Amino acid sequence: MSMARLVERLLQLVPVLLGVSVIVFVMITLTPGDPVEIMIGDQVVTPEQEAQMRRDLGLDRPVHERFFVFIGNAVQGDFGESFYHRRPVIDVIAERLPATIELSLVALLIALATAIPLGVLAAIRRNSILDRLATVGSLLGVSLPGFWFGILLIMLFAVHLQILPVSGRIGYSSEIDPITHFLLIDTLLRGRPDAFLDALSHIIMPAITLGLPMTAILMRVTRTSMLEVMRQDYVTFAEAKGLPRRRVLFRHALKNALIPTVSVAAIETGSLLGGNMIVETVFGWPGLGRLVVESIFVRNYPLVQAAVLFYAVTYVMLNFLADILYTVLNPRVKL
Amino acid sequence: MKRTSLLLSAALLAVGATPPAAIAQELVVGFTQDANTLDPGNHRNRETETIIRNMYDGILTRDSSMNILPEIAESYNQVSPTVYDFRIKDGITFHDGSALTAEDVRFTLDRLTREGALGNDQTSPRQSLLGPVSGVEVVDGNTVRVTLSEPWPLLPAMLPFNEVVSKSFVESVGTEGMATQVNGAGPFKLVDWRKGDSIIMERFDDYYGGAAGIEPVGPACVERVIFKVIPESASRVAALLAGDVHIINELPAFAVEQVEASDTATVMTVNGTRSFFIAMNLEGDVFDDPKVRQAVAHAIDKDLIIDKILGGNAAAISGILSPDAFGKNTDLPAYEYDPEKSRALLAEAGYPDGIEITMDTTGAYKDTAEAVASLMTRAGITTKVAVGEAALLTEKWRTEGGEKSGDMYFTSWGNGSLDPQGIFVPTHVTDARGNSAGYANPEVDSLLDAASTEVDREKRAGMYQEAEAIANADLPYIYLWVPQDIYGVSRRLSGWSPSPDSRINLHDACLD
Repeated sequence: MSMARLVERLLQLVPVLLGVSVIVFVMITLTPGDPVEIMIGDQVVTPEQEAQMRRDLGLDRPVHERFFVFIGNAVQGDFGESFYHRRPVIDVIAERLPATIELSLVALLIALATAIPLGVLAAIRRNSILDRLATVGSLLGVSLPGFWFGILLIMLFAVHLQILPVSGRIGYSSEIDPITHFLLIDTLLRGRPDAFLDALSHIIMPAITLGLPMTAILMRVTRTSMLEVMRQDYVTFAEAKGLPRRRVLFRHALKNALIPTVSVAAIETGSLLGGNMIVETVFGWPGLGRLVVESIFVRNYPLVQAAVLFYAVTYVMLNFLADILYTVLNPRVKL
Repeated sequence: MKRTSLLLSAALLAVGATPPAAIAQELVVGFTQDANTLDPGNHRNRETETIIRNMYDGILTRDSSMNILPEIAESYNQVSPTVYDFRIKDGITFHDGSALTAEDVRFTLDRLTREGALGNDQTSPRQSLLGPVSGVEVVDGNTVRVTLSEPWPLLPAMLPFNEVVSKSFVESVGTEGMATQVNGAGPFKLVDWRKGDSIIMERFDDYYGGAAGIEPVGPACVERVIFKVIPESASRVAALLAGDVHIINELPAFAVEQVEASDTATVMTVNGTRSFFIAMNLEGDVFDDPKVRQAVAHAIDKDLIIDKILGGNAAAISGILSPDAFGKNTDLPAYEYDPEKSRALLAEAGYPDGIEITMDTTGAYKDTAEAVASLMTRAGITTKVAVGEAALLTEKWRTEGGEKSGDMYFTSWGNGSLDPQGIFVPTHVTDARGNSAGYANPEVDSLLDAASTEVDREKRAGMYQEAEAIANADLPYIYLWVPQDIYGVSRRLSGWSPSPDSRINLHDACLD
């Protein structure tokens, strides 16, 4: 892909982001519920004090004025202060983001590492017991609610067997100076294998819970597309040529069969990032998903706006990445 | 690493690592929420305060029976209805070693109450919690004088909710720095705030000891304290049972038996401060008839719901105030459970075939609201529960005098100060914020108004008792119950008991 093409694709982000900003702002402003009322809660305030709070949050200005202030600041990278944290929302989001990304990536790795071999095996041994087990398993994987599966894991591994911690990212005594903010990497960079194992023991259950539905989907996609590919003429031809079966499967069939898997994985990763608030809540994982949900309930406008924008960018970028991978895997496709 | 499993130990050996050195004795609280900020003057959130209160002390505090006691103050007295003097203890130091003076106390109160005092034109969101404070000055070396613009007997009850900061520290780090850094005078120092995950504190060895009236006085018992954020209740219970944490808040009623049956933990309860009630829309054409309201009251078997749904962990009420509140009327008549009487009252009111209504509530109260609704339905008041989001229902039902839609609202109001001013006024005064029923009785208004500035405690209590009796007869609300706060605690824990204001003060807590 040429550099010009890449730049062009990146430039296409601008109108998308502008559109998303407008939609987010309008949606959150039109949603009923008053941040100041929520903040006051069960307290007695005078109308003057209430007006003062409204002024402090910048909510005394008319909606159109607030919109232009928001857009004007946003293009400069300033998304305002969180109503509750009383710090720039960018800082608040940046603190939570690495935990979410780390969890999503580990979940993705687990999903890919289990789904592809299982999908291929199920396709090769079609209608065998293994195939049926994998099919039933994937149905369960898609349908088990994350909060329920997560709690089951906790009850088994943390309460009964006591081999994994219930929640959190790392033990309190494992204090690691951040480098990348990804604990699995930082602990190794700092030469602390004990802390690495500690972090690993914390991430296993949430990552499995988060990755389960994705594993199921990817397994099915791999199986179907593997079956499809194996019916193609060139595979039959390769087999007829007398090439070893292993070579036919992995060199000829799998490479092409993986194209849909890769693009589904890239898009599903977007939903991993956005869709893990439940898993983050169950495992007390200090990520962005939980923060955003909490912020929606209390109408923390600046934080919700910035977070939704972030999700939009991520989604667009992952789609972009999927397109690039497509061209790598299948040279016939051009961007 | 807190828990070394066989598996991980083996793995550790395999990579040739040495396990970390034995760690200090640490007490872990499994808590529902992270702090929003560490600045005691820049939030409006009960959970944030519960965490911060372990690093910052207040001018006054409360013991676990809710008595108000001097903490950073040595003593205090009311000079006149609008003037209070607080004498500040000598020898208190902040975590950075600097001495706490009356000037720090004055600065703290000024920062909380003066407009624009946080800088950047921002006023403390806690300003309204200190009511009519109009001036703060240091009078003789170590006495701080607080002047009110009108008499306000609530001041001592509200001061335990506000913590003293160091003037020089605030001036050096600014309001921005205060959000993440701590230099308090409380029993624990901040070690690390892992946002969204945990707040780690360690014992402050030069602590002055805290309130002289609350034993033991001296540095804290445990070396480290951790507030671990676990929002999901089932996970919080699991962490307690697994021994990962030693105290959890908001133990769900359904888990009480499980925790009590375990070897590692037990259950502790304390009377809460949140009153539950059903607002009936008096502006509608059904509930403007007192007979219909009485019919509702007789239709609900509170004891049954407390027993079956709340696990026995609540006290029934016949007025808005909690049994522990100041000025509670203990002689209020109860509307006995009598569904036949409900039907008869409905017939008298012109509804021989009963009525059909909708009751709004939030997701958190769905189960109890549905139980109440089924009892009402049995008595001829066919009730449908409509679950809505809190922010939306607030807008619908807290109209401050604006027009109301809807029939009924199953809700609650918290009153941490246990002073009627914090709950009676907002829910019963004409057009007040929380007056979801649309109740208007000039007699109640004038009693509550007079009580808010009455300095004679006995007279003041009498006024609230009278107002509660009137409201009980008028019945704008069905007063339901005050649930107990339920905590799960490790059997290793001693010296700690839950407090009605839901603070978790860990100064006296020990682990064996």
